[in-house]
Amino acid sequence: MRFSSVRTAAFVLGRELAITALLLAGVSLVVFAILFLAPGDPFSLLLEGQMGDDAVREALGVPTAWYAQYLSWVSNILRGNFGTSVHTGLPVLSEIIRVGINTLYLTLGALLITLVIAIPIALLSARMGNTSLTLPLTIAAYVISALPVFWLGYIAIYISTHRFGAFPIVVGSSGTQGLNMTAFLLPIVVLGVGNGTISEVVRYLREEMGRVFAEEYIRTAKAKGGSVWRHSVREGFIVPITQIIATKIPFVLGGAVVVEQVFNWPGMGRMAWQAAQTRDYPLIMGITIIAAVIVRMGSLLQRVVHFMVNPAAAGD
Amino acid sequence: MAVEPVLTIEDLRTYFYSRSKRAFIRSVDGVGLQVRRGETLGIVGESGSGKSVTALSVIGLIDAEPGVITGRVGFRVNGTEWSLLPSIGDHVSLAEEDGRIVEVVKDNRGWRRKVDRLMHGVRGREISMIFQNPRVSLNPFVTIGSQVAESVLLNTGIRNRREAAEKARYWLEQVRMDSPGLRFAQYPGDLSGGMCQRAMIAMALSSEPSLLIADEPTTGLDSTIQSKIVELLDDLKKAVGVTTVLISHDINVVARLSDSVAVMYGGTVLEYGPADRVLSPDFLPKHPYVEALLESIPSERHIKDGLLPRAIEGEVLDTVNAPRGCRFFDRCHRITNGIEEKCRDLEPDLAEISAGHQMRCWLHIG
Ligand SMILES: Nc1ncnc2c1ncn2[C@@H]1O[C@H](COP(=O)(O)OP(=O)(O)OP(=O)(O)O)[C@@H](O)[C@H]1O
Ligand code: SF4
Ligand SMILES: [Mg+2]
Repeated sequence: MRFSSVRTAAFVLGRELAITALLLAGVSLVVFAILFLAPGDPFSLLLEGQMGDDAVREALGVPTAWYAQYLSWVSNILRGNFGTSVHTGLPVLSEIIRVGINTLYLTLGALLITLVIAIPIALLSARMGNTSLTLPLTIAAYVISALPVFWLGYIAIYISTHRFGAFPIVVGSSGTQGLNMTAFLLPIVVLGVGNGTISEVVRYLREEMGRVFAEEYIRTAKAKGGSVWRHSVREGFIVPITQIIATKIPFVLGGAVVVEQVFNWPGMGRMAWQAAQTRDYPLIMGITIIAAVIVRMGSLLQRVVHFMVNPAAAGD
Repeated sequence: MAVEPVLTIEDLRTYFYSRSKRAFIRSVDGVGLQVRRGETLGIVGESGSGKSVTALSVIGLIDAEPGVITGRVGFRVNGTEWSLLPSIGDHVSLAEEDGRIVEVVKDNRGWRRKVDRLMHGVRGREISMIFQNPRVSLNPFVTIGSQVAESVLLNTGIRNRREAAEKARYWLEQVRMDSPGLRFAQYPGDLSGGMCQRAMIAMALSSEPSLLIADEPTTGLDSTIQSKIVELLDDLKKAVGVTTVLISHDINVVARLSDSVAVMYGGTVLEYGPADRVLSPDFLPKHPYVEALLESIPSERHIKDGLLPRAIEGEVLDTVNAPRGCRFFDRCHRITNGIEEKCRDLEPDLAEISAGHQMRCWLHIG
């Protein structure tokens, strides 16, 4: 690789990492501030009905100043120690990893469903324009994307209950073993269809592909007898698809919280929900930080893909 | 002239339908040209005169939905003859109202498919094209070497990637790319405009085409680079001898490289003949437009006589409402009393005024 592109890569990656660090610092501060200011701080909660707060804190060696608490929390996190769940007493990180796998299945599966639906519609309509085939498909994509995911979820449960005479939900938090296929796929399909991003994937991909089809270098490709798809796939497909996936990860995660609730799917979203209800602060904070890391990793991945596709233009 | 023509264009008309104006924009309106083997045909004319549309019509790259193309484009190599224009009738229907076309219905996909079928094995392989703006005409996501090698793989007998890369490297040397080995692995974004145009030329020549169409190959490059590209084209013409259509509004470039020249105006050819006659200010007779055109470019004559180049007065022709008579009527300074009515009401034919020299002007066709 040439020197200039190595330098560009280093610069881009350095910038991404710096942004990530800043963002995580910001997120952790905000999360911490909210929890700190919320009525009934964790210690009061734990020690409710017991002896005077400050004396206990002193005795336990817990710092009282907010920044001291924050710093000790952050330095623990940096060492991989997210604390223990107030509710279960188990280490937060291992709890998150245990259920995180299930959320990974759910969100990646859902993303796949979204793309499998959206990509053909986008490519067909970029190529053919609005025809009697692509227009209804596009409209359907917009309508579906407007449906709220919880509503879709309940409809899906309602229909499958009537069809199978059973409530196909994932029971318990024992992971995915022993699941029946419907119970496994239904939430994935519901999140894939209902995360609200199909229409945007269609719109963005179609727009970008259409724009690239009109580029002069595509005319050159035609003039030399080459394939239009081959020449447009990088700028017209790979770049926009990674871009839109990266920007939609938060939406899919948000949808996952709802779907996990509705289907009782033992994932991170449901855990966050429960943690919020039981005011399990270490767990809430841990999940928030992990979610922010995942979102940033999407963006980092997008950068890497862009760089691989075109080292010369990725530095923009 | 015993050498057979490689390209024969007859009465080519390319119209775009403007929905807002409810009329056709007649970008190319009855053009007939011939290019013989080994010859360079120059096409000059002001911006908007239809030069690019003519070239794009020939290789089937006009892509405007309500456009119609008629005429005949014959292409002949080693005894094989292609007719490159499908008849438009099956794909277009016009709705007329009071003599005005109010709607153009075109089966664009069907038309495209037919064009692509006719062009298969011709476009890229037998006819190559070089475009203006080399930096945006090359794929920014593919290395220079791969782009040239792709053309080799697509259009020559070479099927092996390594051989194709070898060939690509050879052509990058032929176009005198600086450090071709290094450039091979670079992306267009890493190269200057001049180097990109060399890459475009290498790519176009790498298929060893029977016809090269160069549409403004020097426009948009700064002037020292321009003259280097012209030099390169001149040398390649001598070395490779590829039959060429050279489109440019730079008359000096065309004069240097062309054997014959067509001067276009408002979608038609006004003068067509040997380059040394058409583009020499001293050769008479001259078409009034060509005369004005030659006066508008700085030349040695201007310097010698202390004169300034004079821009052609008046507006570029509106190809929607073209005049009934001569298209140059509104801007012409040579109209005499005797022919004024004819000039206004009747379009002159492109008529032969001497062997191989045609002109479209009432002054010269009595
Ligand atoms: N796709 C299109 N739709 C409508 N009008 C078009 C289209 N392409 C070209 N035209 C019109 O056709 C006319 C001729 O254009 P053309 O590009 O051939 O000019 P040109 O002689 O190549 O000029 P230039 O020197 O600027 O390249 C112009 O008036 C242009 O606006
Ligand atoms: S035909 Fe008449 S108007 Fe046209 S160029 Fe000749 S003299 Fe001028
Ligand atoms: Mg042009």
